[in-house]
Amino acid sequence: MLNQVPEAVVWAIFFLPLGSFAVISLAALLSVGGAIRWNPKLSGYITVAAIAVAFLFSLWVLDSVLQEDGRPIGFASHEWVRVGDLTVNIGLTADGLAAVMLIVVTSVSLLVQFYSQAYMHGDPGYSRYFAFMSLFTASMLGLVLSSNILQLFVFWELVGLCSYLLIGFWFYRDSARRAATKAFVVTRLGDLGFLSAILLIWTQTGELDIARIQELALTGAIGSSVIAFFAGGVFAGAAGKSAQFPLHVWLPDAMEGPTPVSALIHAATMVAAGVYLVARLFPVFAVSEEAITTVATVGAITAIIGALLGIVATDIKRVMAYSTISQLGYMMMGLGVGGFVAAIFHLFTHAFFKALLFLGAGSVNHATGTFDMRKMGGLARYMPVTFIATTIAALALVGVFPFAGFWSKDEILANAWKDQPGIFWTALAAVFLTALYVGRMLFLTFGGEYRGGEPSEHGDHSAEPHESPWVIALPLVVLAALSVGAGFVNLTDGFEHLLGGSLPQEARELQTESGFSFGIAAGSVALGLAGLGVAWLVYGLRRVRSEDVREALQPLPTVLERKYYLDDLYEGVIVKGVVMGVVVWGLGLWDRYVIDGLADGIGAFARTSGERLRLAQAGQAQVYGAAIFIGVVAAIAAILLANP
Amino acid sequence: MNLDWSLLAPEYVLAGWAAMLVSVDLFWGRLRKDWLGYLAAAGALASTLTSLIWLNDDTNFANLIEVNNYTTFFRVFFGLIGVFACVASARFVKDRLLHPGEYYALILLTVIGGSYMAAARELLTAYISLELLSFSLYVLTSYAKFDLRSNEGGLKYMLLGAFSSAIFLFGMSLIYGVTRTTQFEGIHEVLTGDTSGFELTLFLGLVLIIAGLGFKVAAVPFHMWTPDAYEGAPLPVTALISAISKAGGFALFLKLFAMAFLPLVDDWRLFLAGLSAATMLLGNLVAIQQHNIKRLLAYSSIGQVGYLLMGIAALSADNADAASALVLHLAGYVISNLAAFVCAIIYFNWTEKDEIADYDGLAERAPFLALALSISLFSLAGMPLFAGFVTKFILFQAAVEEDLLWLASIAVFTSFVSLYYYLVVVKHMYLGEPEEPTRFPTPWVEYAALAVLLIGVFLVGLGPQPLFNAVQDSTAFIFTGAEAAATVGAGP
Repeated sequence: MLNQVPEAVVWAIFFLPLGSFAVISLAALLSVGGAIRWNPKLSGYITVAAIAVAFLFSLWVLDSVLQEDGRPIGFASHEWVRVGDLTVNIGLTADGLAAVMLIVVTSVSLLVQFYSQAYMHGDPGYSRYFAFMSLFTASMLGLVLSSNILQLFVFWELVGLCSYLLIGFWFYRDSARRAATKAFVVTRLGDLGFLSAILLIWTQTGELDIARIQELALTGAIGSSVIAFFAGGVFAGAAGKSAQFPLHVWLPDAMEGPTPVSALIHAATMVAAGVYLVARLFPVFAVSEEAITTVATVGAITAIIGALLGIVATDIKRVMAYSTISQLGYMMMGLGVGGFVAAIFHLFTHAFFKALLFLGAGSVNHATGTFDMRKMGGLARYMPVTFIATTIAALALVGVFPFAGFWSKDEILANAWKDQPGIFWTALAAVFLTALYVGRMLFLTFGGEYRGGEPSEHGDHSAEPHESPWVIALPLVVLAALSVGAGFVNLTDGFEHLLGGSLPQEARELQTESGFSFGIAAGSVALGLAGLGVAWLVYGLRRVRSEDVREALQPLPTVLERKYYLDDLYEGVIVKGVVMGVVVWGLGLWDRYVIDGLADGIGAFARTSGERLRLAQAGQAQVYGAAIFIGVVAAIAAILLANP
Repeated sequence: MNLDWSLLAPEYVLAGWAAMLVSVDLFWGRLRKDWLGYLAAAGALASTLTSLIWLNDDTNFANLIEVNNYTTFFRVFFGLIGVFACVASARFVKDRLLHPGEYYALILLTVIGGSYMAAARELLTAYISLELLSFSLYVLTSYAKFDLRSNEGGLKYMLLGAFSSAIFLFGMSLIYGVTRTTQFEGIHEVLTGDTSGFELTLFLGLVLIIAGLGFKVAAVPFHMWTPDAYEGAPLPVTALISAISKAGGFALFLKLFAMAFLPLVDDWRLFLAGLSAATMLLGNLVAIQQHNIKRLLAYSSIGQVGYLLMGIAALSADNADAASALVLHLAGYVISNLAAFVCAIIYFNWTEKDEIADYDGLAERAPFLALALSISLFSLAGMPLFAGFVTKFILFQAAVEEDLLWLASIAVFTSFVSLYYYLVVVKHMYLGEPEEPTRFPTPWVEYAALAVLLIGVFLVGLGPQPLFNAVQDSTAFIFTGAEAAATVGAGP
């Protein structure tokens, strides 16, 4: 046990990766100007070192928080700006929830950066990559540590901005560009709700401090409709970031970024932010029946639709992306049924096995040069380390005893069982579907015969696939160990204790209490194994031809392959049709053609009235003048009508 | 009556400097060629420094022009706009325009006009200052003598400007007819004492004044001149219009409505709120369609005017927050917008191109320029870290405080829309293929000016307190003055 962590050290957790970003960007700028010679390898070293130290500091924070039983360590807040009645303080939150998140973010980020050194080797944007990754990590850490909701929002947006830069990292690909913009715009759409919620809560309570907002919500000082709207707005933001239905569409496309970026986005940073936000404001959600039910329902829907999509995807990274969507649905569902601890526990274990799955996919790509599972097969023989690690992660994802996912998923199920049967059965169905797509992924990738041989995104790999170098393999092994071990941290309720302490006293009672239920655990494991079994029959033994299944289930597979037609709806109908087509085009027409059209009419008259006016594009000026005049008359009419 | 002529010293400096620039241009050809722009910038800076003499003073010249923190703030603000406009023009003027002496002299005159718009305490002075500003800008807009678009833009701007000036003047005369005074405080006094209710003449006057000022700041539906004038004017002039004509317009708008018309706030609040909503929506939605960077910035600046109008709509007698928020956002907007324009100017100087598609791959050819333009645009969109986020947030919350949640929601929504079209530019710069992979040369002076503006963007974004304190000091008097007048008016 160490001394209590000083404030400066907690700040350092955020500033270390930020500093790494600053140093690398500065060095890159200077070396472009020719002022210094910069070995890109240094960028990787600096990033890994900065995040490693941040990880150690996070452990210190965890240690201190453990001594406090998860209750927040009191740090003074600092006035940032005072504007009339509006005072914005910035400060740090260090409690059980923050400590767990810090560990998740720094550890996963550390392993990902380490892995990236090999994965990104020789990329012309090597330094840029590490600069962005540092900033990405720093923003997420800042988000976790924020004690003020406006401060949190700043980092929230910064996380979004970084994801834009990283998803579009390989900008010479058209698909990467589109994916980056899509991710940014869709998540910003949710942020509209978040920002409105902040404005609303400030006007209603005059508070932006998260702890104070929780307190006011718990004591009933805020009206229930205000809480419902506030929670709804916050959830809109969270749904955007955490890819909840119907804002989940950006996440699969975000695969266009380099694979380690996907690992970081899916496991620890971007998508975890939404779940974290809802968890952070759990007391506010918990006091509002409407809000908490919405969270549970949206979570359940997301869990199912994500899992269904995972079954038809052919790109290994897309399978994982749908799996993330589905698992995030689980976490939201866990929060929605009052399982605060269960949801964060699942976030915790999911971070490790999902990072492992992605890094495993990256390793496979490193060897085969493709992400298309139809061009893989038989890789178990060539890449034993990757195979075993991925299998462990897969079993953890399915929730097979004793892997990490089993423990956390089981807690969510147990919480749902208490009094939300609808949610419970949906979740159970999702367990089966999860097992199905995981099994399919495993058998297609590692089973059977090798079907590939194409150049990859970095270099030629047309020869036989081979195991990846140790820099890639080591993080896989570490994550595999965590995917087995992370589930045991709550065996003696230590984790629950730590997290529970971060809630205010009154809010602890709003949680759903549930013990370990052997029936549920056995049932869900059995379902998971059944799903794996079905996948084995179809994709392993090939006793049942998958084409036959596809035919038998029509039109469901087609709907799934078209992603429920949501992309078509959003892009084709809403964006192109309604927004661009009708509104913008209409306004543009108004400004250009109605006004100019009038101008042509008057212009015909004006043309006869002198050369001088012809210069002024024949009459437009008069029409503009007429518009001003009409505006004035309309205004006067409006005022007269309003004041009879 | 106080006839202390020395109170006008910063404007003497500017006027004298303007005259000097013209004669230098005439008699000293070599200096003219390379250094005139920087000389003009020095003049603007000198007047800025001079105006600091009256920091925290509160006095006035013949009851026409007052010198207090509000005036000082805007003198400094406009002076600095002048500095950046001159520096940004230097190369452009040298390569492309004739008669640089008059060009810079006119820029300095716009600074005088703007400053007096903020300093005026009665209607006629305000009107004359407005005309001084406007006429200088009409000439500057059509300064590219052999460019038809420039001529056309300038002529249109002038014709419509004259039209709107007439409207403004007519409104003023109606107000004078009712209140029998042109003094802001006097009008306030009469309006406070008058309890006879709705009076047609008064409201007619008010609407006409709003229309006249609405034209100057480019509020919908009085905005039509903006895209043409922006596109036609030489780029540095466009930058100047977007900065000083809007800032000057709002300096007067705010003062007039906070000092003179505040007693009628319940009657004009909804009207201005509606104007604000229409302006935000039209500006930001039409901006999506633009393919030219100047037109894009023109429509985006119309959108920004919508936000600023929200500050006027949120004015109230017992709360000075909206006024401060408005000035703060004005400052944030002008800094970010100038930075964006300086980037566009630098790019134009190299390539003579101003279509957005021409910005393809700029990040590879000039990393700093691309970064700077991205930062400015993100700031305009209201992204956190940059000036735009803080100033917008404070402005929005001031509106919400006056029960204008619906307006603030529209503002949040249009900010989201605006991000989309700014992102298009960023996408071209970072994700597009450059036409030719050559690197650009480094124009050190322009880059230095740009760096200063960017520091401003971050300073306001990360530590807005100092600027906000200055703004609060400057706007405080409007309300204390108005309150004093109110008590006087209620007395007998």
